[in-house]
Amino acid sequence: MTALDEVNMDNEVSMNKGIWIEGPVKKGILEFFSGLLSSKKVEAVLMPAKNKSKDSYAWFLMGKDGLLESAEPFPPVMTTQGARALSYLTKKGTAWKKTAVVLRPCELRATIELAKIKQVDLNNLVLISFDCPGAYPLEKYFNEDQKELDEIFGACLSEQVELEGARAVCSICHRFTGRGADIEIGLMGGEAKGFWLIPGSGNGEELLEGVSGSKPDNLEAREKKIAEATIQREEKRNNTLDSFRETVMGPENLMNTLSSCINCHNCSRVCPICFCRECYFDSKALSSEADNMLQRAQRKHGLRLPPDLLLFHLGRMTHMSISCVSCGACEDACPANVPVSMLFSLAGRNTQAVFEYEPGRSIEEPVPYKVFRFEELKDFETPYTKEYAKEQ
Amino acid sequence: MQTLFDSRMTMADFIAALFDKLEVAGVAAITKLPSGEKTAYTLLADKDDIEDCVPYFPAMPANAARAVSKLTREAPPSKQVAVFLRPCELRALTELVKIKQALLDNLFIISFDCAGVFPFQEISLSDEAKLKAYRDAVADGKNCEGIRPVCNACTRFVPEGADIAISFIGRGLDEPLALSFPSEKGKEAAKILGLDSSDNVETSPALETLAEARKKAEGELTKKIEETLAGTDGLISVFDKCISCHACSYACPICYCKNCYFDSQTFEYFPESYFARMGEKGALRLPVDRVLFHLGRLSHMSLSCVACGMCEDVCPVNIPVAQIFKTAGTRAQALFDYIPGKNPDEPLPLLTYAETELEEFED
Amino acid sequence: MDEKNDFTPSILYGLCNWCGTGGSETAGALHLQYAENIRPFRVPCTGAIDPVYILRALIEGADGFAVSGCHPGDCHFDQGNYRARRRVAVLKTLLDTFGLDTERVWLRWVGHGEGKRFADTVNEFNDHIKNMGKNPLSQRRDT
Repeated sequence: MTALDEVNMDNEVSMNKGIWIEGPVKKGILEFFSGLLSSKKVEAVLMPAKNKSKDSYAWFLMGKDGLLESAEPFPPVMTTQGARALSYLTKKGTAWKKTAVVLRPCELRATIELAKIKQVDLNNLVLISFDCPGAYPLEKYFNEDQKELDEIFGACLSEQVELEGARAVCSICHRFTGRGADIEIGLMGGEAKGFWLIPGSGNGEELLEGVSGSKPDNLEAREKKIAEATIQREEKRNNTLDSFRETVMGPENLMNTLSSCINCHNCSRVCPICFCRECYFDSKALSSEADNMLQRAQRKHGLRLPPDLLLFHLGRMTHMSISCVSCGACEDACPANVPVSMLFSLAGRNTQAVFEYEPGRSIEEPVPYKVFRFEELKDFETPYTKEYAKEQ
Repeated sequence: MQTLFDSRMTMADFIAALFDKLEVAGVAAITKLPSGEKTAYTLLADKDDIEDCVPYFPAMPANAARAVSKLTREAPPSKQVAVFLRPCELRALTELVKIKQALLDNLFIISFDCAGVFPFQEISLSDEAKLKAYRDAVADGKNCEGIRPVCNACTRFVPEGADIAISFIGRGLDEPLALSFPSEKGKEAAKILGLDSSDNVETSPALETLAEARKKAEGELTKKIEETLAGTDGLISVFDKCISCHACSYACPICYCKNCYFDSQTFEYFPESYFARMGEKGALRLPVDRVLFHLGRLSHMSLSCVACGMCEDVCPVNIPVAQIFKTAGTRAQALFDYIPGKNPDEPLPLLTYAETELEEFED
Repeated sequence: MDEKNDFTPSILYGLCNWCGTGGSETAGALHLQYAENIRPFRVPCTGAIDPVYILRALIEGADGFAVSGCHPGDCHFDQGNYRARRRVAVLKTLLDTFGLDTERVWLRWVGHGEGKRFADTVNEFNDHIKNMGKNPLSQRRDT
C-alpha cells in the first residue's frame, strides 16, 4: 500500500514521430517483422497465425526464419486473449530473447494490467498494437461462412469502419487504437493506401531506426480522426451501457439475465485479469455441509446447485472489474450465451470511474486496490447523524 | 428386469409423497427458475416450493452428480434427501462415491429411463414444438431429433442402482408414474407408498426398440469418430480449434481435482523453455500442451467416463469432446471389462490389479 | 404495530479487533442499550474484509451489513482502513450499478472510546434496515 498523495503522477507523452509505409498493409507489416528478425533487432515475434486446419487462429512464437506465411497480425477473432498468451510466456521470468508482440488494443491494456500485478514481465518485450475494428464472436466465426467473414473483416480493417456483426463489447469499444504500445501501427486516416509505424517509447524508436519508409506528413489528419472517433465512440459506449443497465437493474432483471448461467466459471478462466491459479470461488471457502445447504434451501425456497452463482459474478466483479479492459473473452467462452462482457464492462466503467482509473492506460498508474488517498471517498462512508447522537 | 408398479401418481403427487410419506428433508431435481426461460438443478427443502419441479425436463445445465458431490462432500445430510438423477448422472455419482467425492448416506436416489437431453443452450421452457416432439418420442420409444449426439448413441439409458426408478419410455411423460424399486431402501419405500403386486404393470416393449436404435447409433458414432481421429493428423486437427480454456474438465463430473494437474505449476514453464522449444527456425504455438491436456485428461478419467456429454455442451469452439471421450473411454473400459457406475462395489481398474493380466501389452 | 416494525432484521456487524470492538466494549462498560438482533463479529482489521464476505451475507440471508473500525489515521496497521474504504466504495458502486440496495451496507468509523457512537450506530442501522424491509436478494432461490 502506498498513499497516492506522496506519489508524483505526472506522466507526459511526447508527440510521436513515425514512418509511413505505402502499399498493402498486411504484406507491409509482415515484411517489417521479417526485417526486424533478419536484422536481429528482435529475435522472436509473438503473434496470431492461422492454425493447421485453417479454421481458427492461435498464438505462435516465431523465431528467425520461422515467420509463418499464415501469420495474421489482425485476426478476425480473439481465441486466446493475447495478454494471457504473453503471461504464459513470461510469468516465470523475463523473455529469453527480445520478442516483438502484436496485440489488439484491449490485449495491450490487459498486458499492462498484468504487468502491474507481476503476471507479465515486460522486459525484453516490444509491444506492438494497431487500430482494431473489432472481432467476431467465436461462435459466429465457427458457424458461418468464414471466407465471407474474413473478407468483410479485411474491408473494415482497411477502411477503418466498425465491424458489422462484431461482438457486443467490440461495438462499444472506445479505446480502439494502439496508443500506449512501443510501436503503434496506424491504419485510421491512412485511407487504405498504407500504414504508419509510430513509436510510443524509446524502445520503439530504436526498433524503427533504419526502417525504410517516408516521413509522414499526414499524421495530424490521423490524430484528428482518432479524436473525433473517440468522442463518438465514448458517447456510444456510455449510451449503450446506460440502456443496458436499465435492462439488468434490480434483483428480478439481474437474475433474469443470469438465468441461463450454469455456474461453470469459464468466464473467469479465460479472463486475462483473473490470474489466480486457485480462484476463491472454486475454493473450499465456499463449500459447506449438506445440512447447511438444506437450511439455505429452506430460507430461500430452494437452492440452485452448484450454489453461489450470483456471488460468483458479483464477487468476481469486486475482485477484477477495476482492471476489466472489456476484451470480451469471457463472453466468447460462455457456453450459455450470458452477456457477461456487457455486465462486466458496465461494472468496470462504474468502478473505474470512482478512482478515475483506466486500466492499461499507463504502467505508472497503480491498481486502485494497492494505493489510497488520505482524504477520499467520503461519500461511501455513512456519517454519524447528530440527531441520533442527541437521542436517548 | 425389475417388477414395475403402477403408482397412480403424477410427478407432482410423487414429489409431494416423498415429503409426506417418505419424510425426506429435501428434494434435488431440475426446477424451473423463477425468472427467465431456463431450468436449474435445485435443492428444495419445503413441500410448498415443489410446484416448479420438473425432474424430466430434457436439459442438463450441470451434471447432477457434480451437484450432489457439492452437496454431500463436506458432510452428508442428517436427514433423508431425495435426489433425481439421469442414468448417466447416477453412474457418475457412483464413480464419485468410489473416489470419495460424494457420500451416499441419507440420500434417496431416484432415477428414470432417459430419452436424452437437448444441448442446454438450445432448450428453454417456451420451446413448445421441441418439447412436444420430445414427449412424443418418449411415448413412442424413439430417438428425438435435436438431442445431443452422445445421448442419441447412449445405450445405458435405463438406471442402474437407483432406489426408485421411474419408467417413462413407451409410456409418456404425463402418464401416472410406473415405478420400480431395485434396492432394499426402495422396497421399504414401496411398502410405505402402499404398492403391492396388485399394481404390477408390464414393461413397455418400446424400451427394446429404443435400445436397438441406440445401439445402431452408437456404432455409427464410434465409426465416425474413429475415422476423424485416425492417425496423428486426425487427432491434432480435431483439437486444432481448442483454445485451452479447460472448460470441458471443469464441467466433467469425474474431473474432481480442485487443482487440476494441467492447470498446475508443472505446466508453467520458464521463458527459456518456450524459446528452446521454438528453436532457431521453428514456431511454437501458444498456449502449449493443448493435445497433451486432452490425452492426459483421457488417461486420468476415461475409465470412469460415463459419456454424460457436459464437456461438449460447454465447449466454446464446438469440438465434439464428448463423442471423442465416449469412444476412447469405451475402448479403455473394455480392457478391464469395466463399466463405470454399474456396480458400486467394483473397484476402479487403476486401483486394483491381477497378477496375470494384460500380458499382451508386454513386449 | 405495522408490518415494518414487526420485522426483526438479521444484521451483521463487522468490527475491527482494535477500535470497533473497543467501541462495543466501551458501550458495554457504560451500560448502553442497543438492539439485540445485531450479530457483531470481529476481524483483525477492517482491511481484512473482502467485499465478497459482505455479498455472501447479503445473498444468503442478511438484511444489512455494517463495518466499523478505526478512524482514518488511527489504524492499528497504519493503512488497513483506507484499504477497507476503497473496497467498500467498489462494492457500493457495484450494488448501485445493478440496482441492488447500496444502503444495506454501511461503513462508519468508531473509535475505541466511542461507546455512545457504537450504540447509536447499531440502533440507527437497525432502524434504518427495519425501514428498508426484508432484503429481496436473500429471498430468491435462483441466486
